[in-house]
Amino acid sequence: MKKRSIRRLCLVLALVMVLGISGATSAFAAETWTVTCPYAASGVAAVVSNKAAEKSVEYSDSITLVAEAIPGGEATMNTWILDHTANDPNLVFVGEGVLSITALLDPAKLQFDYEDLAYVENLYSSIFVMSADAKLEINNIDDLKAYVAEADEISVATNGATSSEAFLVAALFGSMEAGDKLKLVPYQSAAEAAQAVSKGETDFAVSHQSQILEAYNQGAVTVVCAFDGEDLESEYFGTVEGVGKYGYPYFRNRCPIMAAAGTDEEKIAELKELYDEILADEEVVEWLHETMLLEVDPLTKEELEEHLANVKSIAEEYMDVVVG
Amino acid sequence: MLQYIAPASGLLFTLQNILWINIGVFIGAVFAAIPGLTVVLCVILFLPLTYSLSAIPGMMFLLGIYCAGGYGGSVSAILINTPGTPHAAATMLDGHPLSKAGRTKAALKIALYASTFGGIFSALALLFLGPQVAKLAAQLGTPEYFMVCVFGLTIIAGVSGKSIIRGVIAACLGLLISCIGSDPMTSYDRFTFGIRRLYLGLDVAVCLIGLFALVEIVSRAEQKPDALHMDARKMRDNGTITKEEYKRLVRPTLMGSLIGVMVGIIPGTGASEASWFSYSQAKNMSKHKEEFGNGSVEGIAAAESANNAVTGATLIPLLTLGIPGDGTVAIMLSALMINGLNPGLSLFTTQGDIMYAIMLGLILVNIFMLLQGKILTPIFAKVVSIPQEILTPIIVIFCFAGAYSVNKNYFDVCVALVFCVLAWILRKLDMPPVPILLGLVLGKMTETNFRRALLISNGSPKIFVSSVYCWIFIGLIVLAVGTILRNQIKEKKARAASVSKEE
Amino acid sequence: MMDKIYVRLDALGEKLKTKECRIPVNLAVGVVFFLFSAVILLTMPQQVAISEKDVVNGRAFPKLLMGVMMFCCVLLAAKDIYKLVKKQPIEWKTLNLLVEIKALVILGILLITYVLWRASGYFVLGAVFCALAFLIYFRCKKPSYYAITVGMAVGIWAVFRFLLNVRL
Repeated sequence: MKKRSIRRLCLVLALVMVLGISGATSAFAAETWTVTCPYAASGVAAVVSNKAAEKSVEYSDSITLVAEAIPGGEATMNTWILDHTANDPNLVFVGEGVLSITALLDPAKLQFDYEDLAYVENLYSSIFVMSADAKLEINNIDDLKAYVAEADEISVATNGATSSEAFLVAALFGSMEAGDKLKLVPYQSAAEAAQAVSKGETDFAVSHQSQILEAYNQGAVTVVCAFDGEDLESEYFGTVEGVGKYGYPYFRNRCPIMAAAGTDEEKIAELKELYDEILADEEVVEWLHETMLLEVDPLTKEELEEHLANVKSIAEEYMDVVVG
Repeated sequence: MLQYIAPASGLLFTLQNILWINIGVFIGAVFAAIPGLTVVLCVILFLPLTYSLSAIPGMMFLLGIYCAGGYGGSVSAILINTPGTPHAAATMLDGHPLSKAGRTKAALKIALYASTFGGIFSALALLFLGPQVAKLAAQLGTPEYFMVCVFGLTIIAGVSGKSIIRGVIAACLGLLISCIGSDPMTSYDRFTFGIRRLYLGLDVAVCLIGLFALVEIVSRAEQKPDALHMDARKMRDNGTITKEEYKRLVRPTLMGSLIGVMVGIIPGTGASEASWFSYSQAKNMSKHKEEFGNGSVEGIAAAESANNAVTGATLIPLLTLGIPGDGTVAIMLSALMINGLNPGLSLFTTQGDIMYAIMLGLILVNIFMLLQGKILTPIFAKVVSIPQEILTPIIVIFCFAGAYSVNKNYFDVCVALVFCVLAWILRKLDMPPVPILLGLVLGKMTETNFRRALLISNGSPKIFVSSVYCWIFIGLIVLAVGTILRNQIKEKKARAASVSKEE
Repeated sequence: MMDKIYVRLDALGEKLKTKECRIPVNLAVGVVFFLFSAVILLTMPQQVAISEKDVVNGRAFPKLLMGVMMFCCVLLAAKDIYKLVKKQPIEWKTLNLLVEIKALVILGILLITYVLWRASGYFVLGAVFCALAFLIYFRCKKPSYYAITVGMAVGIWAVFRFLLNVRL
């Protein structure tokens, strides 16, 4: 090897060292907390997590949130639990579907329970909507009832087979005594499920409101009902009937952020405070409402546990309908 | 559209945007050239940098990484026979042999030119045909996606080496490995054998490190001591591409770009599938089939133009329908949404200037990729003149660090080592590793769409012939299989003729 | 001292170089992968849980794959057996003992690199070992190469650890 080449290599080495040291100074400035979202990177939870990460720099000098999405649902959660112990600078989104529904209907899929996690904060709540292929001309729950009475089979696209969406739709059709006609078609994300109904691949889909908006704007789908107690007044969809009005089961989707159990309470309080500051930011509130079609919804630990218990009691009540 | 071009240009052509494009392009190219460091990982690691930026510079930075990442993977594929990213594996088949023949710079230049052409081609498709193409893509559903996968699997025949049957066995192995982990339809774990780390399945990038990079290191055992010394031909390499070669590049580059756009608009597929489709197609259509696998310039151009043509095409469903085509684009969607932009056709009227600035920006990104690539090519080419004693451990260290970085755990490094041993054993049995990779890339998509289609049709296989698009794909599959059989028969006849001549 | 070791190794290498074994490729692939697919099929009930409601369950696709694999294996093996019976030439693969031992040494270096890293928790330790081990494997005598390679090993660790924030 020529001397010149050796000199060049040494130069590269020096450059690498300089970069390393300069990186080190910035890396140690604030503690990085990685927030894992076990759903699609384009999903609602992941996008909200990214927004919170962006804002964390504004509100804290000591904590920087870094968002990552590892799609996989229960599998990601199981792996996360395996990887992280108390006080690891890592957080995870845990949907109520995992803690209250899967844990009840299919416990074999989970390698952890609520006790393995320490609650930090809940960021938002979402009202799921059920959309229908526009060709079916189903615009409200009465139309839906009429359709259900006539149909031999009802196919519904959902995000996964054991998600909150899947349970809600199974409970809805089960309550209509059409559980045996229901065919759940699982997709990898709620956005994919929304696309499936707009293509006519399935009759219905359950998704977050923002994920069906484009298909609705293009006239490919109609929005049939919202999984809430009251009607949903939306500037995009107009008035959408809430299933609760008819006595059908519902709950709002919440996806709390958790740390590994045993993490210092002071640290958790600091993280919660940071999230609360972010959620109080007017820009964030407006963004959540306007762009994501969600509501800011911070919860105390007691409120969260009440929500989980409520979802669990609904799951228990409708378990037979769903499992069959 | 025209009314948005002027304001979009005003938004785009700022010093800040150009700076961020160049930073993104540089980071993307270097990152992707390192085995294990995928484009998705790069975007995740550098996403926080965009938090302080507004929508356009942030997107330009991410697009810079995305596009240059498409090209960067080819660098290590050509130089050290190890694809930096999964989608550069097809480039490796001819890129490295050409480099070994003393034409490293030429191989790198062809990869760069083809990548740039593919990138600009797809950016223009996005700019002029975006909404129309998106509507077409929206008509493709689960059965059509399955047919795309089956078409993809026909490529196995072209990359099986001496024996198609051994190639099929290898592909089955790859497809089976892709089944490991959580069942995509029911979430039950499969083939985890009690190893909890396997719940999430195996990452293709990690498997790639073992299958190609580490086994290449182990294969140093087959080298004679004099192979450590520098090849004099490599020192004389001036990177010339002849006129005749340029002429030969036109058809595979155009075809590759078209295939890349077509594959890119289908969500779930990506650059890996496109590069293999294109490579296979180029081989079937070439007048110099015998050169494929031995340093064909057409092979490099076909693979590289296709994998970069995917970049613009994946943005078509993203910007027009809000559907991300792959993991990297999903993160871009997130970046758009945190800036208050909810992609969809309506955004083309409400925020047309921003949308068109992003689309024009993609062309600019590719131009800067070409310029930076021209500067970097001679530097990259120097890698082949680094003595093996130094290069070998450095590759290993990068491989280990890369494997660990994918999920930030040691288990992935073990997986890479296991795949290295597997690849070595397969090498001893003359089993080709490329079909395994194809199986890994296509496995999950094939199975999910197969099962979902049958679920939709209540088990009736008629769903696979239910639309005109399915029939088009069936036609393509028949054509591909027919071409393979014809080539096989021709080869056999040629072999028999040469044997009888010798006798 | 190193020179003496190299002389001994060369002498051993000369002996091993001549030791070769041949395997009938198609027959070996056929047998190995037939057994492999049989094992997968046998373990499938324990390894893949299914629900009776599934139209196409999680075992269908792997079963299909193993079926294809078995069929191909039978084809390969039958082809070689037929040729052997007819005394026609078949495809052989020659394995050289020296090459395989060298490959095992390299695999050993990779494994020790990993173990050192895993046990100590310091990637840099494994990286430096790896650099030195390969330089010794290649019988490198130039001190400058040792300095460059070890320096690069440390540099790569620094970039990952501090610049990319990957806690290696």
